[in-house]
Amino acid sequence: MGLLRGGQPLTKRRTAPRKLGQSLIYHAVMLAIAAVFLLPFYWMAISAFKTTDEIFARPVTWFPDPIHWANVPDLLTRTDFPFLRQFFNSVFYAGSVAAAVVFSCSLAAYSFGCLRWRGRNLVFGLTVCALLMPAIVTFLPVYLGWTKLGLNGTYWPLIAPYLLGDAFYIFMLRQFFMGVPRELMDAARLDGASEFRIWWQIVLPQVRVALVIVGLFAVVYTWNEFFGPLIYLQDREKFPLSLGLFTFQAARAREWSAVMTGALITALPMVILFLLTQRLFRQGLASSSLK
Amino acid sequence: MGAVQLTGVRKLFGQLEVIKGVDLTVADGELVVFVGPSGCGKSTLLRMIAGLEDVDYGDIRIAGADVTELAPARRGVAMVFQNYALYPHMTAYDNLAYGLRRAGMARADVDARVQETAALLQITELLPRRPKAMSGGQRQRVAIGRAIVRKPEVFLFDEPLSNLDASLRVEMRSQIARLHHDLKATMIFVTHDQVEAMTLADRIVVLNAGRVEQVGTPREVYHNPANLFVAGFIGSPAMNLIPATAGQGALTLPWGTKLDWPGASAGSVTLGLRPDRLSLVAESQAQATGQVTLVEHLGDESILHIRLAGGASLTIKAPGDVGARLGDTAHIGFDLTNAALFGPDGLRL
Repeated sequence: MGLLRGGQPLTKRRTAPRKLGQSLIYHAVMLAIAAVFLLPFYWMAISAFKTTDEIFARPVTWFPDPIHWANVPDLLTRTDFPFLRQFFNSVFYAGSVAAAVVFSCSLAAYSFGCLRWRGRNLVFGLTVCALLMPAIVTFLPVYLGWTKLGLNGTYWPLIAPYLLGDAFYIFMLRQFFMGVPRELMDAARLDGASEFRIWWQIVLPQVRVALVIVGLFAVVYTWNEFFGPLIYLQDREKFPLSLGLFTFQAARAREWSAVMTGALITALPMVILFLLTQRLFRQGLASSSLK
Repeated sequence: MGAVQLTGVRKLFGQLEVIKGVDLTVADGELVVFVGPSGCGKSTLLRMIAGLEDVDYGDIRIAGADVTELAPARRGVAMVFQNYALYPHMTAYDNLAYGLRRAGMARADVDARVQETAALLQITELLPRRPKAMSGGQRQRVAIGRAIVRKPEVFLFDEPLSNLDASLRVEMRSQIARLHHDLKATMIFVTHDQVEAMTLADRIVVLNAGRVEQVGTPREVYHNPANLFVAGFIGSPAMNLIPATAGQGALTLPWGTKLDWPGASAGSVTLGLRPDRLSLVAESQAQATGQVTLVEHLGDESILHIRLAGGASLTIKAPGDVGARLGDTAHIGFDLTNAALFGPDGLRL
């Protein structure tokens, strides 16, 4: 018995049969589409715990029997694939880019979204225009520049550009910054805070969620980044996993179980990160209306 | 405390001139209210005094010093905003202390000053709370505290009561009046609410389209409006403005009624009569007749809206128990005490 409203018991409204039918069809279609997307991931996951022969066995086995847990320690202790080293390279690379992006883009977004200065809209327009320019167009001069500086083969060319901002993240953050009431900044100015202090102490705390979203985007993008490391890094010990896994697979083409184990461990941090923060991801995508 | 002096102050947003040469002096310890319709520039002018908007022409002096080019924090002003503008991630204590810390005050002095201000405003129990855990009235008291704690030369209020409900607004209004009395501070208060303006102000500055239309005490601007704009803007319900023709010591109203007005020079004029100077009279004594189109019962008084035969409308403030109903024929008598006459240029004659 539910609560009483006007003498009538409050009972759950029954779903109409037609609606129920529509709902079933809708969910069946969605599950089918989801299965198509999940199948490669599932295949990777089960292959990580099979032998190479089992992976190619016919008929196909949809679950490893037995489960080869040993694939994991085997991979981590290989001398021809410094997996752990490359894993930490990836963590360093993604973490540094995320920190650089959050710092530089939030400063730029504060300027574009919260300060008034002559030519602001023009400069912002030009910044957004950078989104339209394919990275490959500027690749060669930038590469030559870093080589002249003697920094080819280090992480500087991969991280330092983000200290100067990124058009997409600036655009995204500016939307959030524009939502911060102007009076908060005015009050801080009257309280004697400098613009830098206002950005740091007053505005950033109001857009914490946005900063986390941008940081997450940057981490995911950088974790999967392949082209930049391929161009600038030559030493296997310095490779991030995205590149290390590729070179390992190219060199050991027959060792599919090791490749799959590596791919699984590489993908796992991002999957966990996404599951923990999917609400923020959706919020970020909605706010930027891009991608 | 300090006087505020504005000389030839102008402000342009691109090609649009929003403040068109304001000359104004606010005396030391005076409470002046800027009042005017939306978009008249009253908040912009206040922000210019605060240093939050640049001054394109003219200069601003506070306590004798030219502050036109000074940063907001160095002008000796504090401001209370319409939406409180409390830092949401800080407690009330930190909100009050923030400006003092920025000024480099020692921790013990900051604490003493914050506690003293909190006691004055009776917000001591709110100090550990963040703004989201406070009601609108409490937030506004903390916002006022943040202004007081810095002991500024001048307090600026930008429609601080607009977000409060009616009863809180009355309470906060009297609190601001008490503060002004106790602190003897120079205060400039922006509002579009005439009741606030009339009840709080030592002097009212009526602004329209970036210009000062009149500066005077509440009684002056109410009883002796300088022009048609002030006459129509100040007072609720608004003054009745009736076009008339002057000549031979009398005014002739559009419906033919003649009113004695000795000394009126010939020409087109506008007669201004407050609604409380109009009354319902017997048909034989009527100076105008029309049909009641709206009756607003306010308890102790009723506002009658009457449409005359020629299309003109008049508003009458009648006793609360007036028997008039919608559609009734109303006979109206005029009492010309405190009536105002305006020339063709809109200025008071």
